[in-house]
Amino acid sequence: MLAPKRMSRLLIAASRDQLSTVIAELYRHHLFHIEEYVDSGVDGYEGFRIGTPLSGASEASTDLIKIRAIENAVSINAEDIESKAVGARPELMAKIERELPVLEREVEELTGRRSKLETRVKELEQEIQVIKPFSEVPFDMDLLRGYKKFTVFAGYVAREPTFSVPSEVYFAKGKEKSFIIVIVLADQRAVVEKALQESAFLAVQIPEESGPAQKRITDYTGQIASASQEISEIAKKLDEVKTKHTGFLVACEEVLRAEVEKTEAPLRFATTRQTFVAEGWVPIDSVDAVSSDLEKATGGKIYVTVIPTDLEHDSVPVEYNNPSFAKPIQLLMDVYSRPKYTEVDPTLMLAIVFPLFFGLILGDFGYGLILLALVFVLGSFMKGEDGQQFLKVLRNASISSVIFGLLFSEFLGFKLPWEPLIFSRHLNIGGEATGHGAAIPELMVLSIWIGILHITLGRVLGMYNHAKQDHGEHRTKTVMANFGWLAVMWGIVIAIWSYAAIPLMPDLRGLPAIMPGVAIGYIIGAVLIVLGVVFIARDAVLEVIELPTIISHVLSYTRLVAVGLSSVAIAMVVNFISIGMFISPGLANLSIVGIIMILVGVVIFLLGHTLNVALGILGGGLHSIRLHYVEFFTKFYKGGGKKYVPFGMKRRFTED
Amino acid sequence: MADVATAAAVASTATDLASIQASQMGMKAVGAGLAVGLTGVGTGVAEMGIGAAAVGAIAENKDFFGLGLLFTVIPETIVIFGLVVGLLLLFS
Repeated sequence: MLAPKRMSRLLIAASRDQLSTVIAELYRHHLFHIEEYVDSGVDGYEGFRIGTPLSGASEASTDLIKIRAIENAVSINAEDIESKAVGARPELMAKIERELPVLEREVEELTGRRSKLETRVKELEQEIQVIKPFSEVPFDMDLLRGYKKFTVFAGYVAREPTFSVPSEVYFAKGKEKSFIIVIVLADQRAVVEKALQESAFLAVQIPEESGPAQKRITDYTGQIASASQEISEIAKKLDEVKTKHTGFLVACEEVLRAEVEKTEAPLRFATTRQTFVAEGWVPIDSVDAVSSDLEKATGGKIYVTVIPTDLEHDSVPVEYNNPSFAKPIQLLMDVYSRPKYTEVDPTLMLAIVFPLFFGLILGDFGYGLILLALVFVLGSFMKGEDGQQFLKVLRNASISSVIFGLLFSEFLGFKLPWEPLIFSRHLNIGGEATGHGAAIPELMVLSIWIGILHITLGRVLGMYNHAKQDHGEHRTKTVMANFGWLAVMWGIVIAIWSYAAIPLMPDLRGLPAIMPGVAIGYIIGAVLIVLGVVFIARDAVLEVIELPTIISHVLSYTRLVAVGLSSVAIAMVVNFISIGMFISPGLANLSIVGIIMILVGVVIFLLGHTLNVALGILGGGLHSIRLHYVEFFTKFYKGGGKKYVPFGMKRRFTED
Repeated sequence: MADVATAAAVASTATDLASIQASQMGMKAVGAGLAVGLTGVGTGVAEMGIGAAAVGAIAENKDFFGLGLLFTVIPETIVIFGLVVGLLLLFS
């Protein structure tokens, strides 16, 4: 908790004939994060080379590519499929050898035919485009070409031209442009060309076709229809392949991927002619299990030892170490950056505070229930790991929304049958509000309190991180600088308290004055501010220009109230328009107009609240996470840790 | 006679007061509207450039989505301040 999982650096050395046994054992454990060996003359690794893949690597890769091609062709995505073990490795391997070539041929043949048909359809469509201008022409298209002594012009003109030479003209008047065909003696073409140009002539290609144009078009359209028919039949067959073989395909992909990863693992090890050395990271609590299993598997013909970790130079892979309720939110941590091995991991705080912020913003019983239903529905579509985690985050946030909805006494903008248990957010919109109306100043101050405390926590964590990571004089300076930021913030706060009375905050105006007009509160505030600025400047002078961010970051937390109130306002306005302006008058006068008004009111109600739910997720989610990323994390969190990717895989479709 | 005059004077003062209060309320509403509207424009202008750059970056590398979204909503603070000012003007 609050720190990544502790890791040990493990060194494994054995003779080469143990290679496949060791790899299989490590793969099974799914715990060993391989530190890749780079051939760059590291001390103690003289004479070592990067290993070569085990036998069977290229066959497995080829098969894997085939499987993926088939999956692509029938659009299967393992992410979207429910995990279900279909079989163990040996039987699947046998099945791959037996069935894969047949399946591959079948799918290849279908997709090949499909792409041929699709090309044909495109060609036909192009032909139709060429013939189309001639569709109204009452004579055959063969008459338009093949002359030696005549020239044929065809195209669109803006107005009807007149020709001074003998010519055969077909003219069809259209609305904006007219279609014209002119046949003229070849040696007089220049005259005609000129006349045509004057009427803004736009030539079209003369089709290489015979017979009446309309007939050809009907003919081609028929051909396109039959080709499309065939394409959809092929799609149906591919769908059949999909339904029949999905399980087999995803399982095969998994088996082969494992096979490829295993056979190619030596590429990441250091090897000599007779031996190999693998280095990597294992969580401290699993070191014993891994080493003893390795020794058992190789019959003791192996050397496994823990190398001391050098936190300065080693980049230790980072694996979260959180209680299960905080696991989903790791998704949002990774969006920002994974913690470094040596710093505080704020995931747990994010897991607690994020839903609270979300609930404060979208504190509505009705919206919370709608979101919970949405999570439930989406849960049956999103099968992937990330999707599931995201839904869990949303679920926790919605539960918080429900609870805050009960506290705020809000249901889709209406009031629940009790007074708000905490500050009211019921605005006076459409004369709906009863009681005292919204307690906006109190809510604002509450959100500022949250900001002050959250930022204080961030700075304290910043002091801890610097104390842990830095050394010598630099360490003192950075810790003191963080303290300086805190001092300036609290100095400002105390000065404000001495100046004005603010609801929900201490009133320091009553403190005795040292000199006339200078209360002790001012002195304390000023001392804290000056001290803080000095501490900040000692670490980095330029940081002093960042001082205004203290105020803007604290005030930024008022978004918790402001965004929430805007969502309440939208809900109340929707209710007022739909019920106050349409449904109630409609109910009062139940004529046809009245019924129409009720229907319009219902539509407005549904549309308005749908929009507000969407805005609520965006507003509640984005603003809550942003307060963490921008206001909280910037105080202490660096991130940039290396992800822990243990060698092996989580089996979803196969058994051991 | 004097009574009537006094009563008229009192009544006119009352209407004056009411109209002054109404106009003050109106000015507050205008102020609140300006606060939200202008800060909204400011946020929009600021997010314009960031959003365009973020979409470009996401097109290059999908992993940038989270960070891009974050960068894009950073100027949102401006409009939040406007909203806060508006709310304080109207309701406190």
